[in-house]
Amino acid sequence: MATTEVLGLRARERIGRLDRIWEERPGLVGWLTTVDHKRIGILYFFTTLAFFGAGGVEALLMRTQLARPDDHVLGPSRYDQLMTMHGVTMIFLFVIPMTIGAFGNYLVPLMLGARDMAFPRLNALSYWLFLGSGCLIYASVFLNMAPDAGWFDYVPLALKRYDTGLNIDFYALGLIFNGISSTVAAINFVVTIFKLRAPGMSLNRMPLFVFAILAVSLSLIFALPALTVDCVFLELQRRLGFHFFDVGHGGSALLWQHLFWFFGHPEVYIIVLPAFGIATSIIPTFAKHRMIAFPLVAMAELLVAFIGFGVWAHHMFATGIPTATLVFFAAASMMVVIPSTIQIYAWTVTVMMGKPEFKAPLLFIGGFITFFVIGGLSGIMFAAIPFDQATTDTYFVVAHFHFIIFGAAVFPILGGMYYWFPKVSGRLYHEPVAKASFWLTFLGTALTFFPMHIVGLLGMPRRVYTYQSGLGWDAYNLSETIGAFILTAGLLLIFGNLVWSRFRGPPAGPDPFYGGTLEWATTSPPPHYNFAVIPTVTSPYPNWDRDDRAEDARKLEAGELVLEEGHETPASTVRDGYLDEVLEMPSESWWPLTLGVFVTLLFVMLLLAHFVVAGIFGALCVLALGGWHAQEPAEA
Amino acid sequence: MSEHALPRRAPRPKPLAHPNGWWGMALFLGSEAVLFGALLATYYYLRFKAVHWPPLGTPEPKVVLPLVLTAILVTTSVPMQLALRAAQEGRLAATRLLLAVALAVQATYFGLQIHLFLGDLAKFSPGDHAYESIYFTLVGAHHTHVAVGLLLDVWLLLRLSTGLTRYRLTGLWATTFFWHFVNGLAVLVVLTQVSPAL
Amino acid sequence: MRRSELLQWFGLLGGAAAWTCQHGALLFLSSARCNPAGARWAFGMTGWQIGVTVAAAAVALAAEWAAVVTALRTRELEYDGPPPLGRIHFFALAASAGNVLFLGAIVLNGIGAGWWSSCGSS
Repeated sequence: MATTEVLGLRARERIGRLDRIWEERPGLVGWLTTVDHKRIGILYFFTTLAFFGAGGVEALLMRTQLARPDDHVLGPSRYDQLMTMHGVTMIFLFVIPMTIGAFGNYLVPLMLGARDMAFPRLNALSYWLFLGSGCLIYASVFLNMAPDAGWFDYVPLALKRYDTGLNIDFYALGLIFNGISSTVAAINFVVTIFKLRAPGMSLNRMPLFVFAILAVSLSLIFALPALTVDCVFLELQRRLGFHFFDVGHGGSALLWQHLFWFFGHPEVYIIVLPAFGIATSIIPTFAKHRMIAFPLVAMAELLVAFIGFGVWAHHMFATGIPTATLVFFAAASMMVVIPSTIQIYAWTVTVMMGKPEFKAPLLFIGGFITFFVIGGLSGIMFAAIPFDQATTDTYFVVAHFHFIIFGAAVFPILGGMYYWFPKVSGRLYHEPVAKASFWLTFLGTALTFFPMHIVGLLGMPRRVYTYQSGLGWDAYNLSETIGAFILTAGLLLIFGNLVWSRFRGPPAGPDPFYGGTLEWATTSPPPHYNFAVIPTVTSPYPNWDRDDRAEDARKLEAGELVLEEGHETPASTVRDGYLDEVLEMPSESWWPLTLGVFVTLLFVMLLLAHFVVAGIFGALCVLALGGWHAQEPAEA
Repeated sequence: MSEHALPRRAPRPKPLAHPNGWWGMALFLGSEAVLFGALLATYYYLRFKAVHWPPLGTPEPKVVLPLVLTAILVTTSVPMQLALRAAQEGRLAATRLLLAVALAVQATYFGLQIHLFLGDLAKFSPGDHAYESIYFTLVGAHHTHVAVGLLLDVWLLLRLSTGLTRYRLTGLWATTFFWHFVNGLAVLVVLTQVSPAL
Repeated sequence: MRRSELLQWFGLLGGAAAWTCQHGALLFLSSARCNPAGARWAFGMTGWQIGVTVAAAAVALAAEWAAVVTALRTRELEYDGPPPLGRIHFFALAASAGNVLFLGAIVLNGIGAGWWSSCGSS
């Protein structure tokens, strides 16, 4: 691409025009009104890191309490709040916004060869809604009213009778609010992936990371409404005396669980699929080999999400539901593991067939595969109903999902931070320290979560704030706590490395690792308009097609598909990526922030049960939507 | 927020793919379909567990009036679709007339349904039993979607009063899609609502 | 060309649709049977279970056949070949593997339905 070659005069003129058309306002105002997907990705990144820190502190406090038997660092009520907030924070305020809001937002348009997402203002709105929902939920912590019935908030414990304060209302309204942010983000991704691919990028030429984001986005769209309905039922029951969950008036406590897990199981694939996407981006680059069985890997990503919608009651094997009903969930749970297995084979064989260079990102993927295999094996064991019934609510379950969530979702995030750091910041991270940070984090993770398998099989239940001595659990708990602090040290080393490198690292150039996807075909960091010329695409690894990149340089000079007449990006047909039309995209706007503020205030008023004022904010939201849509693109 | 001053370009050929806004509405409707799926599944789940449905002391739902009203609502898909066709052919006056006709019928439907809803509330309350809770939630959710559709219609009529653009055409396309969805769903909701009396 | 396109989509979506319908139907039937309200319905439970399973398996097999035939018909192309045939080949390959999985899931569901006839919990 023309980044490294000498540019002709006309090419430089075109780039100058693009710079002027696409520049955003400087300073804070620029950030508040931005619709640039890269800036929104960066906003998401730092916000989710802050929540990661909060969730991590909650974890360390719990582990400190559990380090020794019969300890009273924290009382049971405080422990319940920490345990609940740790789960809610890590799942809703860290992992999902980090993978799709930060990584997805930043990378998807770049990988597709587009200039922005399909709905740039909606993208900004999803961020402000996320921030609002996170602040609402965390306000509960500062008011000492944090949700305290576990991250899955089972009834009847969560009903007004047993949880009288506003704690659970923060939970229910907070999650409905957070769900709106994720839903609009997911819709944006799907439309972008369907319509805004560079011409030539038919569906079979999409990068695997994009397939993963597509699977995640479709899952979010179809899973979140179940959680929303559940939380609406809960609020109607708590606030207005409706009867959904109490048996005495014809309700059912299991209704909460069915709706929750109908969302909750796809949710765990939503957590792990972007990590698969990151792994399938890092492996070909450092193995210097295309992904083996590419169509199967792409399909496996969609399949695991799809079948994942049919397994939800495997979280309810111990509730007394007739076996004649549970058996179908057991069957589907056994099948759902197969697509993931296909992916593991493909990843390992690709590394074996290539000439792997074990830089830090690939090390993190190695750690990811290790933890994913172990976590996946313990997971498949739960498909057997009798085994599940024996280990439900023990630390064996906690071990399984932390191996998956931390080992299989967070490790690729950490590897991805190193991998794309040069692209986002324009500088290289310090490689030896990065490798050390991997080993420290790996050791900490193994030491924290592996003993949980054993202590769970020895009978230690989940969600207890303390335990008696003499049950054989003491040494394991102590080593888990030590592991947690080692893990924290590893994470701090990673962040320290990135912060230091941001200011003192050597310049990275556009493509330090010889990556195959299009984000490496532009400058580091990319300009606001991503690509001076819309790239020519003939394979899923466009940056390895050097003749196509040379064609781009020619097109830039000749002015073909430079689209410099306005804030423009091309739209293509959905299946085969033929150029269809040129779209005029919105530029900076105050509407997303404005609507975000109104929605936040609406939810605050609902929380405080000021329904009339809430209605007024609802009306303001409608008016803001009107103002938003009154701005139209220039007509031909 | 400034509009860019752009040179006038030659009229563009009609694109092959559906517009982004249509796709956005399609996916949003997918999400709403699951929302209603969850509400309907809840209705039947609670019903399977009940011996008496409605519970003893609660009147059975009316059948004829809800079915008739729903049939009327479903017919508004016709003027909406015709309005879309007219807009795609550039016939602004016909578009606005058909849209206004649809809006008038939809608004009348809404008014009557709210009257029935309030009448039901006076006779039995969601605080009595799960039957009433899911009844009012399910039917209320449907009415909320109709209300949103009315707002969309009003917005479109306002915008179309100053001309037809590609953007407004996409808006009409998306709104028409929304109404087809709401109308189809209305059939499922009303059949569920009246099912204990069938 | 049109035929390949239709076969590709049927191959891709048929198995998934069949499993979804069978899974949902079996869940519905067992919930109906094992709950107070449904127990009053008189219908041949086993008949429905077998029927739904056989129908789903038949559709999944047909989808697998469609996928394999399409993959073979486009076999001179690479998975990243130019559209539309390259794209059709890609999806046909993927569907050939996916439908095996769905068939397995359908059969396993059928076995489960046949094995557990009482409404007790374990």
